[in-house]
Amino acid sequence: MTIMANFRRRVPGPSAHTRLKVTVPEMLAGVVVLSLLAAVAFPALLAPYNPLAINPPDAFQGPSLEHWFGTDESGRDIYSRVIFGARPSLLIGAAATAIGVGLALALGSLAGLGGRVLDFGVGRLLEVLFALPGLLLALVFIAIAGPGVVTSTVAVGLSTAPGYARIIRGQIIQVRGSGMVEAAVVLGRGRAQVVRRHLLPNALSPVFVIATLGLGQAVVWAASLSFLGLGEPPPAAEWGAMLAAGRTYLTTAWWMTFFPGLFIVFTAAASTVLGRGLQRRTVR
Amino acid sequence: MSTPPRPARARFSTAVGAVSVAALLLTGCSTAEPESNQTSQTPVSGGNLVYATGDAEPTCLDPHVGGNYPQALVSTQYLEPLVSLNDDGKIIPWLATDWEEADDGLSWTITVHDDVQFTDGTPLNAEAVRANIEHLKDPETASSTGFLALEKVTGTEIVDEYTIRLNLREPDSALMESLSQPWLAIQSPTALERSKAENCESPVGTGPFIVDEWVKQNSITLVRNEDYNSPPADAGHKGPAYLESITWRFIPESASRYAALQAGEVDVIDNAQPDTIAAAGKNDSIEHLNAPRPGASNRIELNSSKPPFNDPLVREAFAHSANVDAGISSLFFDTAERSYSPLSSVEELGYEDPKLFTYDPEEANRLLDKAGWDQRDAQGYRVKDGKRLSLEFPVSTNQSIPAEVSLFEQIQATAKEVGIEINLNLLDLSSWYGALAQNNYDLVSAPYTKVGPDVLRILYHSDGIVPAPSGYFANLAQVDNPELDKLLTQASRETDPERRAALYEEAQKLILEGYYILPLYDQQNHFLYRSSVEGLRALPTVSTPTFYDVWLNR
Repeated sequence: MTIMANFRRRVPGPSAHTRLKVTVPEMLAGVVVLSLLAAVAFPALLAPYNPLAINPPDAFQGPSLEHWFGTDESGRDIYSRVIFGARPSLLIGAAATAIGVGLALALGSLAGLGGRVLDFGVGRLLEVLFALPGLLLALVFIAIAGPGVVTSTVAVGLSTAPGYARIIRGQIIQVRGSGMVEAAVVLGRGRAQVVRRHLLPNALSPVFVIATLGLGQAVVWAASLSFLGLGEPPPAAEWGAMLAAGRTYLTTAWWMTFFPGLFIVFTAAASTVLGRGLQRRTVR
Repeated sequence: MSTPPRPARARFSTAVGAVSVAALLLTGCSTAEPESNQTSQTPVSGGNLVYATGDAEPTCLDPHVGGNYPQALVSTQYLEPLVSLNDDGKIIPWLATDWEEADDGLSWTITVHDDVQFTDGTPLNAEAVRANIEHLKDPETASSTGFLALEKVTGTEIVDEYTIRLNLREPDSALMESLSQPWLAIQSPTALERSKAENCESPVGTGPFIVDEWVKQNSITLVRNEDYNSPPADAGHKGPAYLESITWRFIPESASRYAALQAGEVDVIDNAQPDTIAAAGKNDSIEHLNAPRPGASNRIELNSSKPPFNDPLVREAFAHSANVDAGISSLFFDTAERSYSPLSSVEELGYEDPKLFTYDPEEANRLLDKAGWDQRDAQGYRVKDGKRLSLEFPVSTNQSIPAEVSLFEQIQATAKEVGIEINLNLLDLSSWYGALAQNNYDLVSAPYTKVGPDVLRILYHSDGIVPAPSGYFANLAQVDNPELDKLLTQASRETDPERRAALYEEAQKLILEGYYILPLYDQQNHFLYRSSVEGLRALPTVSTPTFYDVWLNR
C-alpha cells in the first residue's frame, strides 16, 4: 500500500482523483503480492513443515487441518512446499524479466541512438526474433544450452527481450524529437548529458510498467519450462515441477496440482492487476 | 452393438472350426485359466482395436535395429520368431517346427515350416533365416539386443531348403531362449535388402498383422494379414486374426491414457500406473493384465568403475541408506512386490537374499566412516579429501514411470540423512543414453528384458562394458570380476540343468554380495483393457501382448 501512497503524491494533476483511486482488485492484488513477498523472504515462518521431509505412510492425503493442502506421493506437506516454492518460482520470473529488460535496454538504445544503419540492423533482428513465438525461442535456447535453472531463466529472459526492445526504441525516438531535447541541445548540453538527463528517464517509465505486467508472464513461462522438466531438478519445491509431479495423479489426488496451480494463477493475476494500475496512472 | 460386415461372418465360420481343432490339440498341455467365461461365447471377426502405448515411440519399427521394449511391443503384432515358450517355460514351435543341438553343443539344426510366406510373397525357408542371422550380426544394422543374443553364433550352413544349421564358437545353453524373443524375429529377406530407412518404416514379416501406415508422433495402423497361417503352438485359434485392424497410438501422458480408456476412446493401454490400476479395480468395465517381464529385475545399478563406488564399502552403505520398502507400499498401491534378486520373479533360476538389503542408516553411517568419508560439510553431506560424497543419477523418464521417479526421490531423501548427495537428472531417452556413453553416472536404473538367466551374462560379464554396435553397453554397473566372468561363461555353456542352476546361483550371490545393484521390484508390465476385449494374453516369452486371438465383444 505504501507504494500506492507514494504514487499518489508524486503524480499530481486535475483529473488525478478518479485515476488514482485504489480499486478493490488492486487492493487484493497488493495483499497477494505482499503475502508472496513474505513467503519469498521468510518461508520457514509461514510453513509448518520441512518441504523436503518425506513420510511415505502419509502419502496422498487430502486437505485436512493437519495438512491444509494435503500431501503428495511421498507424504510431503503441499502447503509447505507451495510456500517454499514461492522463492524459486518468483525469483526465476523476476530474474528473467530483469534479463529481458536489460537486454532490451541495450538493443533499444542502440537502435534509438546509434544512427540509421544500426537502427536498421537491430530492427531486422527484432523482426526475425518476433517471427518465433516466445516460448519456442526459450525452448530452442534450452536445447542448445542444456536444461537447468540458470538456462531456463536466461531462456525466458531472452524470449521476452524483443518485445521490450521495440518499446524502448519507440520511446527513445519519440523523446528524441521532443521539445525538451531540442531545447537542451539548443542550450548546448553535451550528448551524454542529454541522454542521461532527458532521454533515458522519459523513455524508461513505460518500460517499468510493462515489465510489471510481464513479470506474471515470466513466472508462468518459467513454471511451464519447469513443468516440462527443464527447470529445477527434484526434489525442489518449484510450482511448475509440482504441477508436473501431480498430473500423474490428477484423477485420484487433485490437490497435488490444484494448489501449486492456484498460486501460479494468483501471481500472474496480481502482477497483471498491479501493472494495469500503474499503466493507468502514468499514461497522460 | 454393430453387426460385423458380411465377409467377416463368412470367415468367422472357418475360425470357429479352427478354434475347436486347436482346443482339441491343446488339451493337456495348457492350464486353461480365465477362458471359462469365453467358451460360452463365440469369437466375432472384424472391427478395429485401439491400443494406446505409454512407451517411447520407436525410431525404427524393425526390432533388429537397436532392440528395445517399445519395438518389441508393436513388432509382436507383425513379426514372428522361430520359437516361443509355453506357460511352463518350455520351448515350443512357432516358425520353426524342429530344433536339435549337436552332441558337442557346437551347432544347432533348425527346421522351419514349409508352407509359410512373408506378407510380400517371399517364401519362408532356410535362406530367409540365414539372411536374418546375417542382418542381426551386420554392424550396419546397429543391433544391440539381437546382436548380443547371437554372440556365440559364428556362421550358418544351409542343410536343405527348410533346414539351417547355426555354428557356434562354444556351446550356448541359452540359444533357443534367445531365439524366442521378438528382437530376433524373422523378416522377409527381400524386404531386408531395401535401405535401412525403408525397412525401419515398414518391416515385412509373417505375423497376423501388417504395418500399413506410420504417422510419426501419432499412430501406427496395422491391418490384418488375410493369408496368415503361422500361429505359435499355444495360440487359441488358427487362420487369420479376428481383428480387421489395430490403431497403435502413442499417448505418453499416463493420466490422458487412462482417461481415454475410461471414455472408451481406446481399448487397451500399457504402462498402467499403480494409482490407476488401483482405481480400475473398482471399475467393472475395465480389466487388468499383470505380466511381469522376464530377465532382470528392476534395479539400481551402482557404477563400480570410478569413485566413489569403486569402493565396495560405499556401495554397501548406499544400499543400507535407501528406504525402498516404504516407498513401494505407498507409491505402488501393492501392485509391485519388493525384489532382492538380480533376476525377475518369473525366472525359475532367480536367487534372492533379503538380509543384504535392509534399510539401516546406522550401518550405512558406520560403513561410510570406515571408508574414510568421516567429515561433513555445512549442508551435512559427507566429505573426503575435500570432495563431497555426491552421486549422479540420470533417470530416463521414458523408462522410469512417475511412481519410480518418486521412489528415487525418496531414496534421495533417505540417502541424504546419512550424508550422501544424489543429483537426480530427469532426461529424455537420447540425453540419457548420452550420459551413459560419457560414463557420467554413479547410479542408473535401466530395464533389461531377456528370456532366461543368460541375461546375467549380458548385464554383468566384463565383456558387457564394451559397447555393442548401437553404442549401448549393458553392463552399466561396470562389474569387472574375473571370478564372475568365469561362472557366467561356464553357465552359458552348461547344458545339464542342475549344474547350470548351481552356477547361476553362485553368480547371483557374487553380484548381490558385491553390492553392484540395489534390487527394487519386477519390471512392471501392467495392461488395462475394456472388458469388451476378449482373448487378450501376453506371450510367455517377453510378456508382450498378442492381438492374434483377440476379438471385440460389443
